[in-house]
Amino acid sequence: MTLPEIENQAEVEIVSAQTRPELDVLQVKYLGRNGVINQFLKGLSIDELKNQGGPVNSVKNKIRAIFLSKYAHLNSQETQKKIDVTTPGKLPPIGHLHLLTEAIKEIEDIFTRLGFVRRRYPEVETDWYYAEGLNIPKDHPARDDQETFYLNQNVVLTAHTSNGQLHEMELMKKPPIRMINIGKTYRRQASNTHNPMFHQFEGLLIDKNINITHLIGVSNYFAGQYFGPDRKTRLRPHHFQFTEPSFEVDINCHICNGRGEIDCKKFQVCKAGLLELGGAGMVHPNVLKNGGLDPQKYTGFAFGWGVERVIMMKHQVTNNLRELYTDDLRFLNQS
Amino acid sequence: MDIKIPHSLLTQFLETKASPETIAHDLSLCGPTVDQLHHRKSDDLYDLEIITNRIDSASAFGVAREAAAILPEFGHKAKLLNNPYQNQLTDLGQLPSNQPIKLQILDSSLIPRFTAITLSNVEIKPSPKQTQDWLELSGQRPLNNVIDVTNELTLKYGQPVHVFDLDKITNQTMVLRESKKGEKILTLDGRTHILKGGDIVIEDGAKNLIDLCGIIGGGLSNVDDHTKNILLFVQIYEPKHIRRTSLYTQERTLAAQIFEKSPDPELVLPILIEGVRLLTLRANAKISSNLLDIYQKPKASKPIILDFNWLNRFIGIDLKAQKINSILNQLGFTTKLINQDKISVSTPSWRKNDINTKEDLAEEITRIYGYFRLPSILPANIIPNTQTDPLLKNEYQARSYLSNLGFTEIYNLSLVSQELFASTNLELDPKLVLNNPLSSEYQYLRTSLIPSLLTNLANNRGKTEPPLKIFELSHTYHSNNKTLPNETSTLTLATYGLDFLESKGHLEALAKHLHFDLHFNPLTSPSKPFIQNQSAKIYSDKTLLGIIGVIDPVTTTNFSLQETTIIIDLDFNKLNLKIDPIHHFTPVPRFASIFEDITISSTKPVGNLLSNLQQAHPFIINVSYLSSHQHNHTFHLEFNDPKGNLTQDQVNKIKTTIKG
Repeated sequence: MTLPEIENQAEVEIVSAQTRPELDVLQVKYLGRNGVINQFLKGLSIDELKNQGGPVNSVKNKIRAIFLSKYAHLNSQETQKKIDVTTPGKLPPIGHLHLLTEAIKEIEDIFTRLGFVRRRYPEVETDWYYAEGLNIPKDHPARDDQETFYLNQNVVLTAHTSNGQLHEMELMKKPPIRMINIGKTYRRQASNTHNPMFHQFEGLLIDKNINITHLIGVSNYFAGQYFGPDRKTRLRPHHFQFTEPSFEVDINCHICNGRGEIDCKKFQVCKAGLLELGGAGMVHPNVLKNGGLDPQKYTGFAFGWGVERVIMMKHQVTNNLRELYTDDLRFLNQS
Repeated sequence: MDIKIPHSLLTQFLETKASPETIAHDLSLCGPTVDQLHHRKSDDLYDLEIITNRIDSASAFGVAREAAAILPEFGHKAKLLNNPYQNQLTDLGQLPSNQPIKLQILDSSLIPRFTAITLSNVEIKPSPKQTQDWLELSGQRPLNNVIDVTNELTLKYGQPVHVFDLDKITNQTMVLRESKKGEKILTLDGRTHILKGGDIVIEDGAKNLIDLCGIIGGGLSNVDDHTKNILLFVQIYEPKHIRRTSLYTQERTLAAQIFEKSPDPELVLPILIEGVRLLTLRANAKISSNLLDIYQKPKASKPIILDFNWLNRFIGIDLKAQKINSILNQLGFTTKLINQDKISVSTPSWRKNDINTKEDLAEEITRIYGYFRLPSILPANIIPNTQTDPLLKNEYQARSYLSNLGFTEIYNLSLVSQELFASTNLELDPKLVLNNPLSSEYQYLRTSLIPSLLTNLANNRGKTEPPLKIFELSHTYHSNNKTLPNETSTLTLATYGLDFLESKGHLEALAKHLHFDLHFNPLTSPSKPFIQNQSAKIYSDKTLLGIIGVIDPVTTTNFSLQETTIIIDLDFNKLNLKIDPIHHFTPVPRFASIFEDITISSTKPVGNLLSNLQQAHPFIINVSYLSSHQHNHTFHLEFNDPKGNLTQDQVNKIKTTIKG
């Protein structure tokens, strides 16, 4: 091909290109390392090169210019195309973690920041870890409150996560102990608002010189982290066989701000401005002994709170625990 | 236990200007919780929760005693009134010398204290209005002046009291003993109980059982409109006997709930004296016998030594000796100074069962001082050097990734019914059945999550459009030869309206995400509830993890599922062990790869062709499956030489060595 032929052919091809990729291919074809122009130069003798240098460069520049203007044309065509940006996007599949999974993770993370280690201990448990080792002798009236399912005389479905206390003492052998045991628990109770199964998280901290103010500190830390910075807990006297003293831990209601207003009756977990979080206490010396620790040397505290309870208190999804166990995807897919 | 106390009754024992609202608030913070304060027309009513170890506070007087200690801490003056412990036998004047009844106690351990006295010439009529109001407010029905006195005494002092019609006790003889198996007793509520034996009972001179002691009176000797002579009866019974009988006869009476918690034997005589006083006043009764009081005073318990330094370390604040002493004294403890740092504390009779250790004393002092006044401090100790089980982390990773793949997580109950498992042809474990189920719906611990998930799919029919993708990660339970069953972390996925390969792809994605090896072998024997020809065993290396397959039509019909239903059932405990906690990376190839598609004609399973290709030549570094048309299967291969650029000739040569 002669130079003018090259120029002509290039122009025809470039002008008829419809897309940028086509143009990219043409650019390689004419201007690339092994392109038409370089092939043409290779075919020339040294003498011819001397004469043809100028014309070749000029053709090269012309072709380059045609490319530039064609690129500009295609670009402007492309940017003029209008997208209706209000049309909904094409969704990738969207799945949902259960509220319980999210809450358990959040609880775990909060206590992990305080140096607690997450554990899981048996749901199906012997009477020793569940009751007797926790200072609840057989046929003690305190067993009334437990509403326990039995597999046989010695094996129960745990009604609380406190069975983890002795296991943790045995595992760690000596303090420091900081455990958060999260698991399934079972109660033999039938009502429209109770489930025979629910979840609890059990905190246990044992060391030298641990006192009640530390339990209050950890409770407040959890309340502030999980529910919000302005939330505080308050202890009331209670009784559990495995702690001495024992407490009921309340948290101020965020709706009525702890004032216990009439309006707040709608939110049924609120009692006079306070919500019951759950039980807590200083580990009973007999429990420490049963776990192989010296109660003269060590003290500690424990608490066992309901996962569903804190979800209901925080998200106000429902006042009814059973509803958290629905399998209706129209509810679960809101998570 | 929950009790109701009218405010006007409380103020019989408590002098204070504090309002009922204040009393309710302060009690809840430092003593028994007031669940609710009701404002009634003529009175206010406290709903109180009495914790099991504080039976001494299950009465108007008991609550007043608490309030008298608590209110001053809030700056309200309060004084305890009409303390029954001050009642003296001499208050009754000269007593006749005859015994009230002929009594025989066959086993004195059954009854730590027995008191009785007779009264004659009683006039049965209604009680005064005040008594009737108090009883009604606290949830009891006023009957007549005599019976109401017994209920009023219990309400006021927490000591159950019983009255017999003396003339209905044959020969005025009582034998107190353990029941024999099969004995029958008619009780006041009209029920006839056939006793199991070992219950505390009283028989009269005609060998009739006239009292189911400590629980409910007998129907043979009850007071009625014609009663003239009565036996006033105040006792303490052995608590375990009471609890056992009360539970199995389902007579959870107030008396039983009190007696099973060991009330104070020292209060028995004062209450009998109070009873005589009220009956004299209201029924015009005359004392007609001497007092019978059989009482083996328990040994005095040892005083507890309380070290102030220990106490303040345990509470976390600095309480002064004076404060500690005044709180303890207000609650009825007596304290004796040992030295500057220590006191010796003696427990009052009504707290003997409850207070045994210095921790118990710490509770008393701190709660009255007010837990809510303590500072909030985060403990700054050494953190334990220990790790959480990787299983827990991996469970969360799996859940989280599956939700990213479009699956919705479900929580089902671990307790299932036999019917549910029958409808899937899956086996329950006969050793994992509850002894005391609530209903047949929640009777067994589940051995598989599959039936629950099929139920979930069925429940969503007509509500959410297919395709549905759900999963649950929970324990399944399997008995073994040990005391406790295995609790196996189990991951089960269910898809509805996806085909087999789509469903399987999700599992393969999970394996890639969690970095565990995965392969599948066709089922070689039937496995319920899967279709054998459309199911596979899932392996990681040589470990069987579970099964994937299409659910058979018999089962899907049971659940009314019309679309293709696929279950992926995995033992997550085993899967967890296949996840390397540290994932290793390989460097990217330094030289350019060549990509080629090849089609192999073969009757072998695609999985075998794939693994053959993967092992065919070291320069084949990636193989992916593209499509099949009958026995022709197309794969996409990446060729790469780690030492230099490959040429097309080399690739062609390798391709000729590949066989089907």
